[in-house]
Amino acid sequence: MSRFLFPKWSNLLLPTLLLVGAIMPLYAVFFVAYGFSPKTLEVGYQPQQPVKFSHAMHAGQLGLDCRYCHNTVERSAYAAIPPTQTCMNCHTQIRKDSPLVAPVKESYETGKPIRWTKVHKLGDYAYFNHSAHVNRGVGCATCHGRIDRMDVVAQFSPLSMGWCLNCHRDPGPNLRPLNQITDMAFDPSVEMNAERQASLKDQFAIQPSEHCSTCHR
Amino acid sequence: MSSPIPRALLYVGGTVACLLLIPPAAIAYIRSQSSPGRPVHLIWDMDNQAKYKAQEENPLFADGRAARPIVAGTVAMGEANLDTHFTEGVTGPSAEWATTLPAGLVADETFMRRGQERFNIYCSPCHGFAGFGDGMVNRRAMTLMNNSSGSVDNTSWTQAKNLHEDQIRAQPIGQIYHSLSYGIRTMAGYSAQIPTEDRWAIASYVKALQRSQNAAPQDIPPDRRTQVGSEEAATVASAAPSDQANRDGGHDRQGAVNQ
Repeated sequence: MSRFLFPKWSNLLLPTLLLVGAIMPLYAVFFVAYGFSPKTLEVGYQPQQPVKFSHAMHAGQLGLDCRYCHNTVERSAYAAIPPTQTCMNCHTQIRKDSPLVAPVKESYETGKPIRWTKVHKLGDYAYFNHSAHVNRGVGCATCHGRIDRMDVVAQFSPLSMGWCLNCHRDPGPNLRPLNQITDMAFDPSVEMNAERQASLKDQFAIQPSEHCSTCHR
Repeated sequence: MSSPIPRALLYVGGTVACLLLIPPAAIAYIRSQSSPGRPVHLIWDMDNQAKYKAQEENPLFADGRAARPIVAGTVAMGEANLDTHFTEGVTGPSAEWATTLPAGLVADETFMRRGQERFNIYCSPCHGFAGFGDGMVNRRAMTLMNNSSGSVDNTSWTQAKNLHEDQIRAQPIGQIYHSLSYGIRTMAGYSAQIPTEDRWAIASYVKALQRSQNAAPQDIPPDRRTQVGSEEAATVASAAPSDQANRDGGHDRQGAVNQ
């Protein structure tokens, strides 16, 4: 009777299993790190809003400054969504019968607030102060992207702790002169050099804290 | 003689390997797209705490706002200001338009630059950057209104004022302040959007703009005259600076803009 012998190719079984055993955990880790990072899950969130307000039209084509509507950004932690009155500064007259303006008009007449959907949700455990950043040379577009090209606002930055720390550890590349804060087209990588960044850093005495309670208050 | 690796194993292995490439590709695709759906939130921890942040919804109140409106008849701490010169732009027993800045405000360069910045943010959309009433919003509105097949969506726009018109130039600074704060004709008031000091800065800048379009060569300070073209420089070389008070209605900004 012939004896069973494993075929020669079964010598490859153990090395293959070891290889797979080494790669699969890496694959799993990669999948979780890549797939579940805020850059995947949070960036690109573009909810539909109750009013089809287009930033591309107002901030882009009409060139309205961000601060025309978000006027609290320089003094407050919170960059307020404007009240209906701000919209009606113009829309009591401009396109007043447009169906796009109708929800705003209704809010104006009834006094009920427009229920905007918040896009940039930072966890409640973290504290962020807009005025501290805007008044020290961080431009709007640095974190929010080219809002003036968005018809519907989409989240541009992951707003993760690592992303915040990247800038806190090296704020230079994200700084710009104060008169360019709301200039969406200003590109620091083109317009700024290391020297100008360093001088801005000194001028504003920028020493971003990495202490936990800076943000976790 | 060793038999070759069975084909079946190779096919299965190859298929599994290819299938394993799908999740990374899917993630890469998801990263490149924006999506209207709520983000997948896996670890909830303390992300949503039972506290009301600014402008949040609160279903306990009828109007749904967590931020409550100011109770009628109350004034926030530090917001009481009984100086009508400051808040309304009027002075004197018969509440005439103020011709000077209120107490505490000085029209130095910082103040004027602030006014310029604020004007560019809040006023230039309609009035233009130089105050001629040719801002982008104004142009758009006029286009909508004068559309050849009828006004679009019933737009009825009053052309933004050219701030260099004689009648506006004659207005005292208090009146300019009041108009921009509380509105005039079809223009809404900006007292809710702009703090009071900044509104005075804007009014001062408007005056500076008006001055800029109606200045004589004599108004250029002596040390700046060389920057003007050679012909004008020759004309003003021996001319004395004009009396500022006469020119702009009695404002006490001593050459602040030209410093």
